[in-house]
Order: sequence, then C-alpha cells, then structure tokens
Amino acid sequence: MLFNSLTFIVFFSVVLLAFWNLRNWELRKNLLLVASYLFYGAWNPPFALLLFGTTALDFWLGARMAEATTPGARRSWLIVSLASNLSSLGFFKYGNFLLENFTWLAAQAGVTYVAPKLDIFLPVGISFYTLHSLSYTLDIYRGAIQPTRSLRDFALAVSFFPQLVAGPIVRAADFLPQCAAPPVWSEPRFWWGLLLMSLGLFEKVVLADTLLAPTADAVFAHPAPLVPLDAWTGVLAFAGQIFFDFAGYSTCAIGAALMLGFHLRDNFLFPYAAVGFSDFWRRWHISLSTFLRDYLYIPLGGNRAGAALAARNLVIVMFIGGLWHGAAWTFVVWGLLHGVYLVLEHFLRSLWKDAAWTDSLGARLAGAAITFVGVCVAWVFFRATDFGTAARLLGSMFGQIPGGNLLLPSRQLLFVGVVMALLLLAHWRLRDTTIEAAVARLPRVVVALLWILMVVAVIFAQSNATAFIYFQF
Amino acid sequence: MQPPSSTSNSEFDFERVVPALPWRGLALSVLAAAALATFAWELTARGLGYGPTLNDTSDLWADRRKAVQPDSLVIVGDSRAWFDLDLDVMQASLGQRPIQLALPGSCGYPVLAELADDPKFHGRVVASFVPGMWLAPGGPLLENSNKALKRYRDWNLAQRAGHQLGMLLEERLAFLKEEDLALGKLLDHLPIPDRAGFRAPPLLPPYFQTVDRERRARMVPACAQPGPLNDRVKNGWLPLFTPPPPPPNVPPEQFMKGMLAAIDKRYKDTAAAVAKIRARGGEVVFVRFPMTGPLKEHEDRQTPRERTWNRLLQETKTAGVHFEDHPELASFDCPEYSHLSAPDSVEFTKRLMPHLQAALKAAPR
Repeated sequence: MLFNSLTFIVFFSVVLLAFWNLRNWELRKNLLLVASYLFYGAWNPPFALLLFGTTALDFWLGARMAEATTPGARRSWLIVSLASNLSSLGFFKYGNFLLENFTWLAAQAGVTYVAPKLDIFLPVGISFYTLHSLSYTLDIYRGAIQPTRSLRDFALAVSFFPQLVAGPIVRAADFLPQCAAPPVWSEPRFWWGLLLMSLGLFEKVVLADTLLAPTADAVFAHPAPLVPLDAWTGVLAFAGQIFFDFAGYSTCAIGAALMLGFHLRDNFLFPYAAVGFSDFWRRWHISLSTFLRDYLYIPLGGNRAGAALAARNLVIVMFIGGLWHGAAWTFVVWGLLHGVYLVLEHFLRSLWKDAAWTDSLGARLAGAAITFVGVCVAWVFFRATDFGTAARLLGSMFGQIPGGNLLLPSRQLLFVGVVMALLLLAHWRLRDTTIEAAVARLPRVVVALLWILMVVAVIFAQSNATAFIYFQF
Repeated sequence: MQPPSSTSNSEFDFERVVPALPWRGLALSVLAAAALATFAWELTARGLGYGPTLNDTSDLWADRRKAVQPDSLVIVGDSRAWFDLDLDVMQASLGQRPIQLALPGSCGYPVLAELADDPKFHGRVVASFVPGMWLAPGGPLLENSNKALKRYRDWNLAQRAGHQLGMLLEERLAFLKEEDLALGKLLDHLPIPDRAGFRAPPLLPPYFQTVDRERRARMVPACAQPGPLNDRVKNGWLPLFTPPPPPPNVPPEQFMKGMLAAIDKRYKDTAAAVAKIRARGGEVVFVRFPMTGPLKEHEDRQTPRERTWNRLLQETKTAGVHFEDHPELASFDCPEYSHLSAPDSVEFTKRLMPHLQAALKAAPR
C-alpha cells in the first residue's frame, strides 16, 4: 500500500478513527499490529509470513541471548540472528546477483557453468525490516537494552506500518519504550502530523514525480551522448528526485506515526547544504548511516586505531552501504565512491585542522558546492542501470564526448533549474535549524498558504500511485 | 548496572516538537480552501468540455485481463479497435460478451503473445492491425502494452482496492483526466520556446473519449464535428505516424537492416502466437479498421497493403477483414481521420459482424 494512494487514505482514516476511539492500550496495539500486517500483506500476502518468521525468530533469540550466562553463548545467539537475517536478505535480494558473479568468475577460470535463473520475487521493504529486527538482537548483545517479554510489542516495532517498507530504520530501542504506555491525545500533534504528511506527499507527488522524474528518466534512458547542459540537468533532476522521493516518504512516515502518537526521529536534515561528506552522511538517510556507524564502523574499530585503519573501515562501511541499496555493482561503486570521498575529506581535515580560513563563509560555501557536485557524480552510478550508461553520462557532463544530442525541452530545463535552485537555497538557509523551528517562525498566514498550496498541488497532480524509489531496496 | 528495559518508556528521551500554532483553525481553513479550489477546478474542467468518465489506466486494463476466461472472445490491438467496436453489437452477433483489451497508442503483439502463452486460453481473438504499430520494433508502442501486462501480472490487493475507489471518483469528477488535466500535462503545454536545433517529439493528441468499466471507448461529439478539438486531434496523427530519424550514432544502412530483421521477426512471432492459440482450439482474426484523409494516404504510402496486410495473412494463415474489401465498411468517414464517431462505431460493428463471423469460420488451418 502506497502513501500516495486512495487505498491508503481510506485505510489510514479507519485506523486513526479506531485507534483513538479504543480505550484499552493493549487493544490499540493489537489494532496497529493487524493494520501493519494488512498494510504489508496488501502487496503480497505470503511475504507477511516471512516478516513474522523473521520477527519471531529474533524475539526468541533475544530472550536466549539475555538468558545466556557466558559471553561465548551470547555471541553464538547473535551469530544465529545475524546468519538468519542476512541469509534471508541474501537469498531474496542477492541470490541472482551472486549466481551471476559466480558464473562470471567460473568463466574466467575456464569453467563453463550455466547458472539457473532463480525466479525470486523480492519482498518489498525486506532491507528495512531486516534492520529493524536486527537492531533488537544487536542492542541486546551490546547490553543497550533488555529483551521485551511481549512478542506483540516486538512484532509491532518491526512492522509498524508508517516505517515498515522504506524507513526510517527505527531501532527497537527507540520504539519499544513507546509501547509501554498509551500516548495522550494531542490535537496540535495530530494536525502537525497531518501537515508533515501533506509536505511528504507534496515532495513525492509534485516535486519528485511531476517536475523532476520525467527529466531524470529521459536522460538516464537516452542511448546516446548528450550536450553537457542536458546531462547535468538530468543528473540534477535525479539528485532532486531521489531526495524528494525518499525524504518525502520519511516525512510521511514521521507524520503518520505522530498522528498515532508515536515519535520517529528525523531521517533527513537538509543534506544538500552539507559541507563535506561526513556532514552529508549526518544529514542523509540518518537512520541508515547511524545504524552502519553503531553496528559496523565502531565494532570494526572506527577511528580508534589510526588513520589508515579508519580509512579502511570507512571504505568497508560504504561498500556495505552501497550493496545494501541494491544487488548491482553500480551501487557498490556508488558506495565506494562515497567511501573514497570520506577518506579524502578526513585527510584534508587533518591537514587543515588549524587553518582559520576553513570557517569562513566563502570556504563553507565552496565546501558545500564541492560536496554537492561529488554527491551528484556519485548519483550517476546509483541511477544508471549499467556502467556504459554511467560512463556516457559522465563523459557528456564533463564535455568529453563531442556531438552530444539536445534532448530536453526548455520547459524541463526550467523546471529542474528552478526546483533545484530553490531546494539548495532552502537547505542552505535551514541547515542549522529544524523544520519545526522554521515553521514556528513563519507568520500563520504563510503557513496556511503553503499548506493550501501543497494540498491543492497534490490533488491537481492526480498521482497514479507510483512507487517510491526506496521500495526496490 | 542493568541495561535499560525495552518495556519501559522512562528512558525514551526523544519527543518531536510541535510548533506552537492555532492548529484547529489552520487545519480547517486549509481543508476549506482546498475543497473550494478543487470545486473551482471541477467547474473549470466542465466548462472546458470535460465530463466525468474513467481514465483508461493500467488498472482498468488489468481488471479486464483478469476477466478473460479460457473460452473468451477478446479484442486486442490499438485505438481503432478500442473506438470502433461496439461490445453490445458483438455480443448479439457472436453470442459472447467480448473483452476489450485493445490499448490506444500501443502495439498489440505483446498482448496476443501473452494470450498465446496462457495454456488455458482457447478462445477467439479479434486483432486490429495497423502496420506501423503492430510491427514496431520497440519504443513507446511496445512499452504501453508491456506496462499494462506488467500491471496485470503484479496487480496486488492494494492496487485493486485503489482502482475501485478511483473509479468511484472518476465517474463523478470531470477534472480527473490524468492524460489531459493532471498538473504535469498542464505544465507540458506552457508556451516556452525551445532551443535552436531541438527536435520536439510529437505530442499525443488528446484522447477525447468516454470510457466505461468494460473499456468501451466512445468519441465525444465535440471531437466528431468540426471545431478546435477535432483540429487538435487531426493534426496530431501525421507527426505520430512519421517514423523518427535513425539515431545519429548508428549508420543508416545498419539501422535499416536491423529494422527489417525486427519486422521479419515480428511476422514470425505473430504467426507462432496464432498457431499456439489455434493448437488449443482457439482462433485469431485480424481486422484493418477504417481511416480516411491524409492519414490514410500516409499509411498507404508508408506501409502499403501488399507488403504488410497481405504478408500478415499469408504468414499467419488467417482470414482477415480489410475495410477496403467491403464497400459497406469503406463508406465510413473518420471525423479525425483515424477513428469512428460513437454512433458510426455501432453501425460499423453491425456491418462488420457478418464478415467477422465468416472469417472466424473460414480461417485456413
């Protein structure tokens, strides 16, 4: 079920009405659990069983881990949890990718092996709910939380429908405490949640799908070289599209949760105003980057063992981060590119750590511009379906291929230019604040007009319920 | 020290801030203004000549494809079969309610092939043949068919529910015309001049028609008579039916060779699909629907009958119906060159039925 669909409007209205009219907290949580499984099962009912299986196994493993009396036993239960979660993810998401690469490697070794094409249907959101569930056993192992005694509460933490299929990646440690007592009804919170949902839908339906996606799709599907302006416009359009698509989903999720009285953390904080790549990853898909930081980078040693090992750890983390996004080498290159960016940045920061000029406005603006261009170059690998397309587009962007085509009509150049200029300006102006603080500062009439504009534009856009990009991950 | 319990909320220190604003008044004023704007837009759409009718979405197509039974009578192909065939007349003549799967702006082959690959299907198929569309080697014509087929294959419960809700709204609201009045389509018509050397792809003519739940399309009267809408549609066909130039990075001879090979393959694949359906006891009949004016001249020039229609019947061993072979079918005028008006489509179907029945019986095996 998509947020930008009529089905969701009806579904969510019914859930809200029932939730706030039920007196009993246990019944309310049962309602949310059933609604979450309905939300998920509406895609493909059998995969709801897989979701429950993952959940039940981690619930049981969490309890065993807490009961274990020796570090070795605790580690063994954790390994079982990691193995079960990652093998499930590996089978559904990476099965064919692994087979293809195995076939290629065998061919390089002179062995002819024809791998069977596995007819695997990727369960939507598996990358997200696997991490929801895994955070529970990892936190119990780290001693950060104790296991819950309620399978229902844990199942709700993993499957809570606002964040189930495309994040934010909500850790059990953040969600389970909210299951302890019922939220108190708050009308301002309810309407603020609705405004956030309006904003998220506006980002997705109007900005991403209507204004930017046609340009990005046309440029990345074009089979020939382009003039630099068209190539850059296509990549900028994708940079905007993926932000509005994914941040739009997260904003909807946060708003929907808030209307039910649950609090989810921010997943985006004006990332295109980042000065440096480490700043970018503190602002982009925060729930993933903090997950990777806490459960992978720090356990690998983080930056505690010197610059060389820190660089190695960064590259490993970004390699895994790239692969998490999709079973293709283009995603791996996207991740590795970010890993290299981060290593370079750490090196330069150590070189210039005492230089006063780095804090000047000019240097910060230059840093933000370099970061944004670096991020856009990396997006080429993220969006391109193969390396040939990526190479052709990069060659076109940097004027290395003569005789490129004029592909885009002027109106698309204009839409992308205006939307991206406003996006970058907004991110820069808001980079040190929050959306709540920014809205609180606006005159009421401006808030009302912006809200009306967003709702009317969503209605007029007549969305035909296109899926969010991150559903495929 | 004990780690925090995950069943207590005493340690959860994160709470989202809610800006201090008069929320109820704000929300109610937004709802009222949005409702007012929508109402005004609805009146504007009706003033522009739009009326409530269904959008021909992939969901509607998937719904019809789901209705296909093993022995169904199915219509496939392009917009000519969509506009020109009346389902009631066909049912009265052929004793079976047809299922309309013809897709405007599409190549009908993928749908025929999908039916042929359905091991249960042994029904009858009426296929519209427009050479430039049926033989298209790739591009949007094939993508449109494949998009509909993909929706049918992947159609989930949420999409089905959304489709039912969407139809309820579309049957009541005129502004819900995603092909013409969606925000993106309106922006496409902004008068912004293009750069020198830019070749704009041809715009699709507005499909000004009503569509019901069985996907029966009827041309609206405003399109069937002289006027601005009729002109817009008429002027849209020739650019659309003109093949694009070869891509600049492929030598023209190589491009043409590839095109011819792809066309040869399409004839063979079509024959194979027909043979599969026949092997299970079904039948396929191709129909060439009426066209008039400059569009007919263009099609006759680009895709002459002897090189396309005759070859199709020969390779597929089918008995087709070509409108030019029968004076009573050739006497219709297409108001916008490509399709029949709604009243004419009923009369045309009546006149077509004896020929269709004969073709279904006479098909050589």
